[in-house]
Amino acid sequence: MAEIVAAFGVPHAPAFPALVAREGPNCEVARLYAEVAKHVAAVAPDVLVVFDSDHFNTFFFDNLPTFLVGVTEATEGPNDQTPMPHYRVRGHAPLAGHLRGSGLARGFDLSLSQDFDVDHSIMVPLHFLTPQMNIPIVPIFINGLAPPLPGARRCYALGEMVRAAIKDWPERMRVAVLASGSFSLEIGGPKIPHGERAGTPDEAWARRVQQLMQQGKVNDLLEEATAVRMARAGNIGGELLNWIAMLGTIGERRPRFIEPQVDHGHSYGAWRWD
Amino acid sequence: MSVYAVNKLCRDALHDRGFREALKTDPAAAMAPLDLAEDERRALLQGDVAGLFEHGCHPFLLAYLTRWDLFGLTAPVYSERIRKARDPRDETAA
Repeated sequence: MAEIVAAFGVPHAPAFPALVAREGPNCEVARLYAEVAKHVAAVAPDVLVVFDSDHFNTFFFDNLPTFLVGVTEATEGPNDQTPMPHYRVRGHAPLAGHLRGSGLARGFDLSLSQDFDVDHSIMVPLHFLTPQMNIPIVPIFINGLAPPLPGARRCYALGEMVRAAIKDWPERMRVAVLASGSFSLEIGGPKIPHGERAGTPDEAWARRVQQLMQQGKVNDLLEEATAVRMARAGNIGGELLNWIAMLGTIGERRPRFIEPQVDHGHSYGAWRWD
Repeated sequence: MSVYAVNKLCRDALHDRGFREALKTDPAAAMAPLDLAEDERRALLQGDVAGLFEHGCHPFLLAYLTRWDLFGLTAPVYSERIRKARDPRDETAA
Protein backbone atom coordinates (compact mmCIF):
# COMPACT_ATOMS: atom_id res chain seq x y z
CA MET A 1 0.00 0.00 0.00
CA ALA A 2 1.19 3.43 -0.91
CA GLU A 3 1.37 6.23 1.62
CA ILE A 4 1.70 9.99 1.66
CA VAL A 5 4.91 10.80 3.51
CA ALA A 6 5.12 14.58 3.18
CA ALA A 7 3.62 17.63 1.53
CA PHE A 8 5.10 20.87 0.29
CA GLY A 9 3.94 24.22 -0.99
CA VAL A 10 5.90 26.83 -2.94
CA PRO A 11 5.35 29.76 -5.29
CA HIS A 12 6.52 29.66 -8.89
CA ALA A 13 7.28 33.17 -10.15
CA PRO A 14 8.84 32.84 -13.63
CA ALA A 15 11.55 35.36 -12.72
CA PHE A 16 12.93 33.21 -9.89
CA PRO A 17 15.37 30.92 -11.77
CA ALA A 18 17.10 33.89 -13.42
CA LEU A 19 17.02 35.87 -10.17
CA VAL A 20 18.72 33.08 -8.22
CA ALA A 21 21.25 32.53 -11.02
CA ARG A 22 22.09 36.22 -10.73
CA GLU A 23 22.01 36.72 -6.96
CA GLY A 24 23.33 33.36 -5.78
CA PRO A 25 22.41 30.86 -3.07
CA ASN A 26 22.17 33.40 -0.25
CA CYS A 27 19.32 35.45 -1.64
CA GLU A 28 15.91 35.10 0.00
CA VAL A 29 14.30 33.09 -2.81
CA ALA A 30 17.20 30.64 -3.02
CA ARG A 31 17.25 30.21 0.76
CA LEU A 32 13.50 29.54 1.01
CA TYR A 33 13.43 27.02 -1.83
CA ALA A 34 16.53 25.35 -0.37
CA GLU A 35 14.77 24.95 2.95
CA VAL A 36 11.87 23.12 1.28
CA ALA A 37 14.25 21.15 -0.96
CA LYS A 38 16.02 19.89 2.16
CA HIS A 39 12.76 18.34 3.36
CA VAL A 40 12.04 16.85 -0.08
CA ALA A 41 15.46 15.20 -0.06
CA ALA A 42 15.01 13.96 3.51
CA VAL A 43 11.78 12.08 2.77
CA ALA A 44 13.02 10.89 -0.66
CA PRO A 45 9.60 10.27 -2.18
CA ASP A 46 9.09 7.80 -5.03
CA VAL A 47 6.47 10.01 -6.68
CA LEU A 48 5.41 13.64 -6.45
CA VAL A 49 1.72 14.47 -6.90
CA VAL A 50 1.62 18.11 -8.02
CA PHE A 51 -1.44 20.34 -7.65
CA ASP A 52 -1.00 23.14 -10.15
CA SER A 53 -2.85 25.82 -12.10
CA ASP A 54 -1.81 26.15 -15.71
CA HIS A 55 -1.53 29.74 -16.99
CA PHE A 56 -3.33 29.34 -20.34
CA ASN A 57 -0.27 27.63 -21.81
CA THR A 58 -1.05 23.92 -21.60
CA PHE A 59 -4.79 24.54 -21.79
CA PHE A 60 -6.73 27.47 -23.21
CA PHE A 61 -10.29 28.73 -23.51
CA ASP A 62 -10.96 26.32 -26.39
CA ASN A 63 -10.75 23.49 -23.86
CA LEU A 64 -10.32 24.51 -20.24
CA PRO A 65 -10.55 21.81 -17.58
CA THR A 66 -11.64 22.58 -14.04
CA PHE A 67 -9.84 19.45 -12.78
CA LEU A 68 -7.54 17.37 -14.98
CA VAL A 69 -5.12 14.53 -14.27
CA GLY A 70 -2.05 14.21 -16.48
CA VAL A 71 -1.61 10.53 -17.26
CA THR A 72 1.68 10.34 -19.10
CA GLU A 73 5.07 8.61 -19.10
CA ALA A 74 6.84 11.97 -19.45
CA THR A 75 6.29 15.66 -19.86
CA GLU A 76 8.51 18.65 -20.51
CA GLY A 77 8.69 22.41 -20.19
CA PRO A 78 8.49 25.23 -19.59
CA ASN A 79 6.34 25.84 -22.65
CA ASP A 80 5.86 29.58 -22.06
CA GLN A 81 9.18 31.33 -22.81
CA THR A 82 10.20 31.43 -19.14
CA PRO A 83 13.95 32.21 -18.97
CA MET A 84 15.19 28.97 -17.35
CA PRO A 85 16.52 25.57 -18.41
CA HIS A 86 14.21 23.31 -20.39
CA TYR A 87 13.53 20.03 -18.58
CA ARG A 88 11.98 16.67 -19.28
CA VAL A 89 10.51 14.84 -16.29
CA ARG A 90 8.94 11.42 -16.03
CA GLY A 91 5.29 10.98 -15.17
CA HIS A 92 3.83 8.04 -13.28
CA ALA A 93 1.07 6.99 -15.65
CA PRO A 94 -0.20 3.97 -13.68
CA LEU A 95 -0.66 5.92 -10.45
CA ALA A 96 -2.10 8.89 -12.35
CA GLY A 97 -4.62 6.61 -14.07
CA HIS A 98 -5.51 5.10 -10.71
CA LEU A 99 -6.08 8.53 -9.15
CA ARG A 100 -8.29 9.55 -12.05
CA GLY A 101 -10.28 6.32 -11.92
CA SER A 102 -10.69 6.60 -8.16
CA GLY A 103 -11.91 10.16 -8.61
CA LEU A 104 -14.52 9.12 -11.14
CA ALA A 105 -15.67 6.33 -8.83
CA ARG A 106 -15.98 8.82 -5.94
CA GLY A 107 -17.87 11.60 -7.70
CA PHE A 108 -15.02 13.69 -9.18
CA ASP A 109 -15.43 13.99 -12.95
CA LEU A 110 -11.74 14.41 -13.71
CA SER A 111 -10.60 15.26 -17.24
CA LEU A 112 -7.69 13.49 -18.86
CA SER A 113 -4.63 14.40 -20.88
CA GLN A 114 -2.05 11.87 -22.02
CA ASP A 115 0.05 14.26 -24.10
CA PHE A 116 0.91 17.69 -22.76
CA ASP A 117 3.79 19.91 -21.79
CA VAL A 118 3.82 22.18 -18.75
CA ASP A 119 4.54 25.83 -18.03
CA HIS A 120 6.65 27.61 -15.41
CA SER A 121 4.13 26.83 -12.66
CA ILE A 122 5.41 23.24 -12.55
CA MET A 123 8.94 23.66 -13.88
CA VAL A 124 10.02 26.51 -11.56
CA PRO A 125 9.22 24.47 -8.41
CA LEU A 126 10.91 21.35 -9.83
CA HIS A 127 13.94 23.40 -10.93
CA PHE A 128 14.51 24.29 -7.28
CA LEU A 129 13.21 21.20 -5.46
CA THR A 130 14.23 18.27 -7.68
CA PRO A 131 16.69 19.76 -10.19
CA GLN A 132 17.86 16.29 -11.27
CA MET A 133 14.27 15.61 -12.39
CA ASN A 134 14.63 12.15 -10.88
CA ILE A 135 11.24 11.93 -9.16
CA PRO A 136 8.29 11.15 -11.43
CA ILE A 137 5.30 13.44 -11.12
CA VAL A 138 1.54 13.08 -11.30
CA PRO A 139 0.21 16.52 -12.21
CA ILE A 140 -3.34 17.38 -11.18
CA PHE A 141 -4.44 20.65 -12.74
CA ILE A 142 -6.96 22.90 -10.99
CA ASN A 143 -8.41 25.95 -12.70
CA GLY A 144 -7.17 28.72 -10.42
CA LEU A 145 -7.07 31.54 -12.98
CA ALA A 146 -10.25 31.69 -15.06
CA PRO A 147 -13.35 32.39 -12.93
CA PRO A 148 -15.64 30.87 -11.96
CA LEU A 149 -13.18 28.68 -10.05
CA PRO A 150 -13.98 25.50 -8.17
CA GLY A 151 -14.74 26.11 -4.50
CA ALA A 152 -12.25 25.72 -1.66
CA ARG A 153 -14.21 22.86 -0.05
CA ARG A 154 -14.44 21.03 -3.36
CA CYS A 155 -10.67 21.31 -3.83
CA TYR A 156 -10.08 20.12 -0.27
CA ALA A 157 -12.36 17.13 -0.95
CA LEU A 158 -10.36 16.45 -4.11
CA GLY A 159 -7.28 16.21 -1.92
CA GLU A 160 -9.07 13.88 0.49
CA MET A 161 -10.02 11.68 -2.45
CA VAL A 162 -6.38 11.59 -3.57
CA ARG A 163 -5.32 10.55 -0.08
CA ALA A 164 -7.86 7.68 -0.03
CA ALA A 165 -6.90 6.58 -3.55
CA ILE A 166 -3.20 6.50 -2.68
CA LYS A 167 -3.98 4.35 0.33
CA ASP A 168 -5.73 1.90 -2.02
CA TRP A 169 -2.76 1.62 -4.38
CA PRO A 170 -1.54 -1.98 -4.05
CA GLU A 171 2.22 -1.41 -4.29
CA ARG A 172 4.48 0.01 -1.62
CA MET A 173 5.19 3.55 -2.62
CA ARG A 174 6.20 6.76 -0.82
CA VAL A 175 4.22 9.66 -2.23
CA ALA A 176 4.78 13.35 -1.54
CA VAL A 177 2.37 16.10 -2.54
CA LEU A 178 3.42 19.48 -3.89
CA ALA A 179 1.22 22.57 -4.18
CA SER A 180 2.29 25.35 -6.53
CA GLY A 181 1.04 28.92 -6.26
CA SER A 182 0.50 32.23 -4.52
CA PHE A 183 -2.07 33.49 -2.01
CA SER A 184 -2.24 37.09 -3.21
CA LEU A 185 -1.12 38.12 -6.67
CA GLU A 186 -2.49 40.38 -9.38
CA ILE A 187 -1.03 40.26 -12.87
CA GLY A 188 -2.13 42.82 -15.43
CA GLY A 189 -5.40 43.67 -13.66
CA PRO A 190 -6.73 46.90 -12.08
CA LYS A 191 -5.16 46.08 -8.70
CA ILE A 192 -1.55 46.34 -9.92
CA PRO A 193 0.60 49.16 -8.52
CA HIS A 194 1.52 52.30 -10.47
CA GLY A 195 3.97 51.57 -13.25
CA GLU A 196 4.10 47.81 -12.65
CA ARG A 197 2.77 44.71 -14.44
CA ALA A 198 2.05 42.79 -11.24
CA GLY A 199 1.63 43.26 -7.52
CA THR A 200 0.38 41.85 -4.24
CA PRO A 201 -2.97 43.52 -3.53
CA ASP A 202 -3.73 41.74 -0.28
CA GLU A 203 -0.69 40.99 1.85
CA ALA A 204 -2.95 40.73 4.92
CA TRP A 205 -4.83 37.81 3.33
CA ALA A 206 -1.54 36.08 2.50
CA ARG A 207 -0.46 36.44 6.14
CA ARG A 208 -3.84 35.16 7.33
CA VAL A 209 -3.64 32.11 5.05
CA GLN A 210 -0.16 31.27 6.30
CA GLN A 211 -1.25 31.75 9.93
CA LEU A 212 -4.18 29.36 9.52
CA MET A 213 -1.91 26.79 7.87
CA GLN A 214 0.65 27.20 10.61
CA GLN A 215 -2.02 26.49 13.24
CA GLY A 216 -3.55 23.61 11.28
CA LYS A 217 -6.89 25.46 11.21
CA VAL A 218 -8.06 23.95 7.97
CA ASN A 219 -11.75 24.48 8.60
CA ASP A 220 -11.28 28.20 9.22
CA LEU A 221 -9.29 28.43 6.01
CA LEU A 222 -12.04 26.68 4.04
CA GLU A 223 -14.61 28.98 5.61
CA GLU A 224 -12.69 32.15 4.81
CA ALA A 225 -11.42 31.24 1.33
CA THR A 226 -14.57 32.27 -0.50
CA ALA A 227 -14.58 33.05 -4.22
CA VAL A 228 -14.97 36.76 -3.41
CA ARG A 229 -12.12 36.74 -0.88
CA MET A 230 -9.73 34.96 -3.21
CA ALA A 231 -10.65 37.21 -6.16
CA ARG A 232 -9.95 40.32 -4.08
CA ALA A 233 -6.54 38.91 -3.25
CA GLY A 234 -5.75 39.19 -6.95
CA ASN A 235 -6.60 37.62 -10.27
CA ILE A 236 -4.05 34.89 -9.52
CA GLY A 237 -5.24 34.48 -5.91
CA GLY A 238 -7.08 31.30 -6.90
CA GLU A 239 -3.77 29.47 -6.88
CA LEU A 240 -4.44 29.04 -3.17
CA LEU A 241 -6.75 26.22 -4.27
CA ASN A 242 -3.67 24.12 -5.06
CA TRP A 243 -2.50 24.49 -1.46
CA ILE A 244 -6.00 23.70 -0.21
CA ALA A 245 -6.12 20.50 -2.29
CA MET A 246 -2.69 19.61 -0.91
CA LEU A 247 -4.01 20.12 2.64
CA GLY A 248 -6.86 17.75 1.77
CA THR A 249 -4.29 14.99 1.27
CA ILE A 250 -2.79 15.46 4.76
CA GLY A 251 -5.59 16.89 6.96
CA GLU A 252 -5.00 19.20 9.91
CA ARG A 253 -1.30 18.55 10.35
CA ARG A 254 0.90 21.51 11.16
CA PRO A 255 3.83 22.33 8.91
CA ARG A 256 7.35 21.60 10.10
CA PHE A 257 8.45 24.67 8.18
CA ILE A 258 6.53 27.57 6.72
CA GLU A 259 7.85 31.01 5.96
CA PRO A 260 6.49 33.90 3.92
CA GLN A 261 8.43 35.87 1.38
CA VAL A 262 7.60 39.28 2.75
CA ASP A 263 5.55 41.54 0.47
CA HIS A 264 5.23 38.84 -2.18
CA GLY A 265 1.89 37.33 -1.15
CA HIS A 266 3.19 33.78 -0.92
CA SER A 267 4.85 31.30 1.42
CA TYR A 268 7.13 28.28 1.35
CA GLY A 269 6.07 25.28 3.43
CA ALA A 270 6.92 21.69 4.27
CA TRP A 271 4.74 19.20 6.14
CA ARG A 272 6.46 16.10 7.58
CA TRP A 273 5.59 13.72 10.36
CA ASP A 274 8.48 11.24 10.29
CA MET B 1 -18.05 40.61 -29.47
CA SER B 2 -15.68 37.73 -29.19
CA VAL B 3 -13.58 37.93 -26.05
CA TYR B 4 -12.06 34.63 -27.10
CA ALA B 5 -10.34 36.14 -30.14
CA VAL B 6 -8.71 38.88 -28.05
CA ASN B 7 -7.50 36.41 -25.43
CA LYS B 8 -6.17 34.23 -28.25
CA LEU B 9 -4.36 37.15 -29.85
CA CYS B 10 -2.58 37.86 -26.54
CA ARG B 11 -1.63 34.23 -26.11
CA ASP B 12 -0.37 34.00 -29.69
CA ALA B 13 1.74 37.12 -29.14
CA LEU B 14 3.61 35.11 -26.50
CA HIS B 15 3.81 31.78 -28.29
CA ASP B 16 4.18 32.81 -31.95
CA ARG B 17 7.22 34.97 -32.59
CA GLY B 18 6.25 35.64 -36.22
CA PHE B 19 2.82 36.92 -35.21
CA ARG B 20 4.38 39.06 -32.49
CA GLU B 21 6.75 40.66 -35.00
CA ALA B 22 3.84 41.27 -37.37
CA LEU B 23 1.91 42.97 -34.55
CA LYS B 24 4.89 45.25 -33.94
CA THR B 25 5.36 46.13 -37.59
CA ASP B 26 1.77 46.64 -38.72
CA PRO B 27 -0.81 45.79 -36.07
CA ALA B 28 -3.86 46.50 -38.25
CA ALA B 29 -2.57 44.20 -40.99
CA ALA B 30 -1.57 41.47 -38.51
CA MET B 31 -5.07 41.53 -37.06
CA ALA B 32 -6.87 41.71 -40.42
CA PRO B 33 -7.42 37.94 -40.77
CA LEU B 34 -8.58 37.50 -37.15
CA ASP B 35 -12.18 37.01 -36.12
CA LEU B 36 -12.34 40.19 -34.03
CA ALA B 37 -15.34 42.47 -33.63
CA GLU B 38 -14.78 45.97 -34.96
CA ASP B 39 -14.87 47.54 -31.49
CA GLU B 40 -12.30 44.99 -30.29
CA ARG B 41 -10.03 45.79 -33.22
CA ARG B 42 -10.35 49.48 -32.45
CA ALA B 43 -9.76 48.96 -28.72
CA LEU B 44 -6.61 46.95 -29.43
CA LEU B 45 -5.23 49.53 -31.87
CA GLN B 46 -5.85 52.23 -29.26
CA GLY B 47 -4.30 50.13 -26.51
CA ASP B 48 -7.54 50.45 -24.57
CA VAL B 49 -6.81 47.66 -22.08
CA ALA B 50 -9.32 49.02 -19.55
CA GLY B 51 -12.09 48.69 -22.13
CA LEU B 52 -10.93 45.20 -23.08
CA PHE B 53 -10.82 44.15 -19.43
CA GLU B 54 -14.34 45.49 -18.86
CA HIS B 55 -15.36 43.63 -22.01
CA GLY B 56 -14.25 40.38 -20.32
CA CYS B 57 -10.73 39.77 -21.63
CA HIS B 58 -8.41 38.11 -19.12
CA PRO B 59 -5.91 40.57 -17.60
CA PHE B 60 -3.18 37.94 -17.25
CA LEU B 61 -3.28 37.59 -21.04
CA LEU B 62 -3.67 41.32 -21.74
CA ALA B 63 -0.49 41.90 -19.73
CA TYR B 64 1.49 40.01 -22.37
CA LEU B 65 0.98 43.03 -24.63
CA THR B 66 3.27 45.11 -22.40
CA ARG B 67 6.17 42.68 -22.69
CA TRP B 68 6.85 43.94 -26.19
CA ASP B 69 5.13 47.32 -25.89
CA LEU B 70 2.52 46.17 -28.42
CA PHE B 71 -0.16 48.73 -29.35
CA GLY B 72 1.93 51.39 -27.55
CA LEU B 73 1.42 49.65 -24.25
CA THR B 74 4.63 50.33 -22.35
CA ALA B 75 4.47 49.14 -18.75
CA PRO B 76 3.65 52.59 -17.32
CA VAL B 77 0.97 53.23 -19.96
CA TYR B 78 -0.56 49.79 -19.43
CA SER B 79 -0.53 50.19 -15.66
CA GLU B 80 -2.17 53.63 -15.63
CA ARG B 81 -4.88 52.53 -18.06
CA ILE B 82 -5.80 49.21 -16.46
CA ARG B 83 -5.89 50.77 -12.98
CA LYS B 84 -8.76 52.97 -14.17
CA ALA B 85 -10.85 50.00 -15.29
CA ARG B 86 -14.10 49.26 -13.55
CA ASP B 87 -13.35 46.26 -11.34
CA PRO B 88 -16.34 43.99 -10.62
CA ARG B 89 -14.47 42.57 -7.62
CA ASP B 90 -14.89 45.89 -5.82
CA GLU B 91 -18.62 45.89 -6.44
CA THR B 92 -19.53 42.46 -5.11
CA ALA B 93 -20.75 42.24 -1.54
CA ALA B 94 -18.33 40.23 0.60
